[in-house]
Amino acid sequence: MLIAIVGHFLLAALLPVLVPRYGRAVFAVGALVPAATLAVALSAAPRALSEAPPVETVSWAPELGLEVALRFDALGLAMTVLVSGIGAVALLYYACYAAYERAGIGRNAVLLVVFAGAMLGLVLADDIFGLYVFWELTTLCSFLLIGGDGVGAAERRSALQALLVTTVGSLAMLLGLITLGSAAGSFRISEIVAAGPAGPLTGVALVLVLIGALTKSAQLPFHPWLPAAMVAPTPISAYLHAAAMVKAGVYLVARLAPGFGDVGVFQVMVLGFGLATMLVGGMRALFAQDLKKLLAHGTVSQLGFLFVLFGAGTRTAAIAGMVMLLAHGLFKAPLFFTVGVLDKLAGSREMTELSGAGRRWPALAVVTALPAASMAGLPPLLGFAGKETSFEAFLSGGVTATAVLIGLVTGSALTVAYTARFLWGAFAAKPGVAPVRPPRHAGFLLVIAVLALAGLLLGPLVSALSPLITGYADALPGDPSYEPALWHGFGVPVLLSAGVLAAGYVLHRVMPRRPGGSLLPGWLDAQRGYERAVHGTDVLARRVTGGTQSGSLPVYLGVILLVFAVVPGVTLLAYGGVPDAFRGWDNWLQVPLTVLVVLAAIGVLAAKRRLTAVLLAGAIGYAIGALFVVHGAPDLALAQFLVETLTLIVFVFVLRRFPATFQQRGGHGFRNLKAAVAIGAGCFVAFCALLFSSLRTADPVASQQYATRAKADAGASNVVNAILVDFRAFDTLGEIAVLAVAVTGAATLILISQRTVHHFEASDEPDRERPAWQHALVLDVFARALFPTMLLFSVYLLFAGHDHLGGGFPAGLVAGLGFVLRYLVGGSTELSSVVRVPPLALVGAGLGIVAVIAVAPVAFGYPVFTSATASLSVPLLGELELASNLAVDVGVYVLIVGGVLDLLRTLGASLRPSEADIVVEAGERR
Amino acid sequence: MSVLVAVPVLLPLLAAGLALVLSQVGQAQRVIAVAVLAAVMVDAAVLLAVVDDTGALVLRLGGYGPPFGITLVADRLSALLLLVSSVITLAVLAYSISQRVTDYGRAPSSTSFHPIYLVMCAGVALAYLTADLFNLFVSFEIMLAASYVLITRGTTAKRVQANMTYVIVSLTSSLLFITLIALVYAATGTVNFAELEGRVADIAPGAQLGLALLALVVFGIKSAIVPLHFWLPDSYPTAPAPVTAVFAGLLTKVGIYAVIRTQTVVFTHADTWNLLLFVALVTMIIGVLGALAQVDINRLLSFLLVSHIGFMLFGLALFSPLGLTGVILYILHHITVQTALFLIAGLITRHTATVSIRDMGGVAGQRPWLAVVFAVPALSLAGIPPLSGFIAKITLLQGGVEADSVTAYAVAFGAIATSLLTLYAMARIWVMAFWGEPPERAPDKPDAVETAGSARPMLLVCASLVAFGLVIAAAAGPLSEVAGRAAVNLLDGGVYRSAVLGGDVR
Repeated sequence: MLIAIVGHFLLAALLPVLVPRYGRAVFAVGALVPAATLAVALSAAPRALSEAPPVETVSWAPELGLEVALRFDALGLAMTVLVSGIGAVALLYYACYAAYERAGIGRNAVLLVVFAGAMLGLVLADDIFGLYVFWELTTLCSFLLIGGDGVGAAERRSALQALLVTTVGSLAMLLGLITLGSAAGSFRISEIVAAGPAGPLTGVALVLVLIGALTKSAQLPFHPWLPAAMVAPTPISAYLHAAAMVKAGVYLVARLAPGFGDVGVFQVMVLGFGLATMLVGGMRALFAQDLKKLLAHGTVSQLGFLFVLFGAGTRTAAIAGMVMLLAHGLFKAPLFFTVGVLDKLAGSREMTELSGAGRRWPALAVVTALPAASMAGLPPLLGFAGKETSFEAFLSGGVTATAVLIGLVTGSALTVAYTARFLWGAFAAKPGVAPVRPPRHAGFLLVIAVLALAGLLLGPLVSALSPLITGYADALPGDPSYEPALWHGFGVPVLLSAGVLAAGYVLHRVMPRRPGGSLLPGWLDAQRGYERAVHGTDVLARRVTGGTQSGSLPVYLGVILLVFAVVPGVTLLAYGGVPDAFRGWDNWLQVPLTVLVVLAAIGVLAAKRRLTAVLLAGAIGYAIGALFVVHGAPDLALAQFLVETLTLIVFVFVLRRFPATFQQRGGHGFRNLKAAVAIGAGCFVAFCALLFSSLRTADPVASQQYATRAKADAGASNVVNAILVDFRAFDTLGEIAVLAVAVTGAATLILISQRTVHHFEASDEPDRERPAWQHALVLDVFARALFPTMLLFSVYLLFAGHDHLGGGFPAGLVAGLGFVLRYLVGGSTELSSVVRVPPLALVGAGLGIVAVIAVAPVAFGYPVFTSATASLSVPLLGELELASNLAVDVGVYVLIVGGVLDLLRTLGASLRPSEADIVVEAGERR
Repeated sequence: MSVLVAVPVLLPLLAAGLALVLSQVGQAQRVIAVAVLAAVMVDAAVLLAVVDDTGALVLRLGGYGPPFGITLVADRLSALLLLVSSVITLAVLAYSISQRVTDYGRAPSSTSFHPIYLVMCAGVALAYLTADLFNLFVSFEIMLAASYVLITRGTTAKRVQANMTYVIVSLTSSLLFITLIALVYAATGTVNFAELEGRVADIAPGAQLGLALLALVVFGIKSAIVPLHFWLPDSYPTAPAPVTAVFAGLLTKVGIYAVIRTQTVVFTHADTWNLLLFVALVTMIIGVLGALAQVDINRLLSFLLVSHIGFMLFGLALFSPLGLTGVILYILHHITVQTALFLIAGLITRHTATVSIRDMGGVAGQRPWLAVVFAVPALSLAGIPPLSGFIAKITLLQGGVEADSVTAYAVAFGAIATSLLTLYAMARIWVMAFWGEPPERAPDKPDAVETAGSARPMLLVCASLVAFGLVIAAAAGPLSEVAGRAAVNLLDGGVYRSAVLGGDVR
């Protein structure tokens, strides 16, 4: 059967090619595969009904229990006959029907064939995941088929409703099935049913699974999606929303009944919802004006009936269920077809507008009357056999069975009434209504007749279907001698049937001819329930999102800091203990420096003028640099001082474009809150620092090793430098990549829209880009004189770094400051005379040098970043230790120089008048 | 062999340097970038094959072992993520080149996009590979610095403001990250993951939990875990489509990766972590409700991104092999699908000249292929079978059911509800944008940048990504086996530890 399913999909893929040439005949082509499937299924029937039905499996992800297992047993066979048989007929019908359709022929043909394949998979799947896969595939086909070309608002609304409601159920079902499978130790449905796990969890799981069945089969309270789906073309309604897809829920109940039919919650849900649906659907059908809506409500009602039969968990009821299952497919599809014919040929499907169709086209009336009679349960049609057996099934039982029986009888009477009403509405001549004159169409008639005759023939021959029917029903407990038959002799069921017919007919007679309204109170309207649920979700979404997504950066940061401090903080306070061994300071110099840092930080916040704030921030940086010195880390301190200086200069550059003072935002309350959160988070970090320092159990091995191994392994006696260029050179590579990106990024950000200058160019108006003080002669001379010295010093720092204070970072910064000085006195003109290489190329070269040094050792069979040292004797300088990791310093140096140059170039350009104001604006609004 | 581990980091950095030097030659930059990312992809594939065979591949940089030097480790998790990420970065690069995003702000012949993009790719790769907490910080810095530039590049003044939310929040997270490293080092004296595991176990249990929570919060900001997520929907949608796509696909996942790595290798959780389960649930629900409140397609997708982070936390919180297998599969799926969706959203807004789905209509009729290409990842994100999202989701659900606790069931229910609401959100896009009548009004002239170049190559890129998503689903068998082994490695930790700590060191 796997081939059959795949065949559907392959054909569907082929159809779009055929549409342009064959037009609506592609539906007939599409009917080939379901028809072939039907033939194959019938020929394989003996194997399906044998003790060991054929099983096919396709492995997918065994690790996850994911496979597609197909099992072709009695129930599968019955459903296949229904799905493929009616599928083929529906496609043929569509071939006629499409002559009257506007567009969408190709799309609907493809989707219908895909659907037929998916439905086949659904009824044959023996594993829960396969079932779910095909289940959702049918949902999607249904969504797209209802929506059509998506232009009509009603189509879109109904499609969405069908999708959402059935997906609610299918997702619940998925979780329920996984839970069941987990409890049974297998994801095979046959094995789950055989194991029949019990327990409270199983009960919950069953409820979830049944929600899936209820939604898919349009049971109370989910049913309104099905009548709404009637906006789709009639062949689609007949196939998906009457014969095939909506049976999926019934099918699932039938599948599970042998294993769980005796579980209380299963019975309560299936019988309760099924009966209620049968009655409510029947009443709604009785009040419908639109023939298609009447049939839709009738389908809802009949599906409820089927739920009751399959959910009862007895053999007799199951026999009745199987007969009704087939009967329903055979009578409901042709009835829909008739409505479609009237709709297209007579121009209406409202019973108030249709008059005299029966007299005009008696043949149609006859082939419609046959399935209608089957629906009403008239002998000798298949529907009669089903109804009889269902009464029989609940005759001898307790209170529950009797209650169910009463419900079934009432529901059946309603069925008779709306059937009579349907025939009357479709074909009767109505006084005061102009008779319709539909043209007669043999193709339509033939298609409808096929199914009508099948229902007629199978009635008397129902006992021939016995192996199929009992092949399923034997799995359930109950009287094993009862066999499906049209006539079981006179007995209570026959009397009940007669009573039902009489009552139904009377009901039809007493119904007003032009009814409006409904027997049900408005608050019970499930459609309104759906709308409220969707609307409620939308409102909830807006409220929750509106309440949380404030759009305010301070709020976001505040939340982050609060979570950072509170969540771990509570844990630490509760279990972490308190820090011990508290030491005030290591060196008394730390005290004034720390006080300076704190005061300057407060000063930054209190400052009214931007320049003050920047200078105070600089003070913090210098004080921290001093703390490094006190701690004995001159390298860090040097880098910190240099970076701080450069930053200050850049800040001052930028500040020239800002207003002098800050603009305050927000009230005092908000400011205080912000301050409280910030201070709280700061205190928390301080607390953590104390706590975790006192928690250390082992000495840091690394720091001692660094000191002892620096010279030997990295060829550098300066430990900091050894770490930067050798032990953790990889970090350095990463950090200079960050620098390279930051420089490039700053440039792009500053010159957002107008960066066309690639080289330093002599500006036409040097005065306008030069600050006034630059004309100071002393500074001019001083800067020019100092520049070579600074460059030389930077080279010294670069090479000294291995053993003394220095290294690539400080060296690059010193050189950079030299260029800054030149820029201050001479602007871009001055710089362009000094450097002719594009700064970004220097940045790239620096990054490239370090990356090459990283990779180079690989060529010699060493790991990445392995360093090597060599001794060179150079005249004048004597013996030189050259370590390959010096190149890392060089790369850093080149990159930083390039970066500073690029920054100066872009800053300088942006300081010219008439440039984009972007930075300023962005800064102000923050 | 071990050089394979360094290639995904060093090659893009080298190429970035080269691209900067060649910043005048746009064509050369494009060739270099594409070739290098393709090479990284091949390298990642080889790495995955090797690592799945041998367990883990270790590179001690400079030959120094822990705690002395930095160690890079490619284990199954790293290799899997690396492979999928490299496919994504390559695809986004191709899309960017087709859209000419790469060019703006400068003359067409010169560009800073390529070097920065390459640096970002190196950062992402390094994050997956490093076995060193400080080096992880460096990788985050590389990635974030590049992302600051990419998000603010070639945009307007108005957008720069929104981008500042991203930059400032990310800087804050970096600050907290470095604080975390200081605290960890203070307590343990090492930053090597493998060494940390033993050292952390020695400190008081309460303090262990405190550190674990600090790490969760620090990486939670980058991963957009609720309530640390607010910045994401406010900033991501403001970038050009390919930039948003790669951010959404990769950067949040790197955050999640860091959460997973630290919470499994460094900290230990013997059993289901109920707090994280709760966070997962809240993240799912708040995220998806946020999506439902949006009409801007990019904001909608951004909220969905937040929501589906919850799924990944769900699997992690279970701390079971099945749960972690689910997380790994979910990440692979989500990287692909979320990136594809943002790229496709770029094509949709380009076609309709608006980001509001309310003002769209009839796209399916006008651009049927765009509709198909959108529908597949949209359904996949909602977990509709047989797509990749379905496979990842059922693995997580199985893990949740297997945990057999009330909280796990509650989160499983939340996951189901989130799937439903995700489908609702996607169906709304479909119904409003793809169905219906095309809007009557003449569309405003869109951003010149957004419409540069032909849409066809971009659509082709999207289609390839969609196809890649289908491959993930089709290859669920072998993938789930590798992911399963990766999950066992994560929970056991022994393989990782012995790989990092064992062997010859200098």
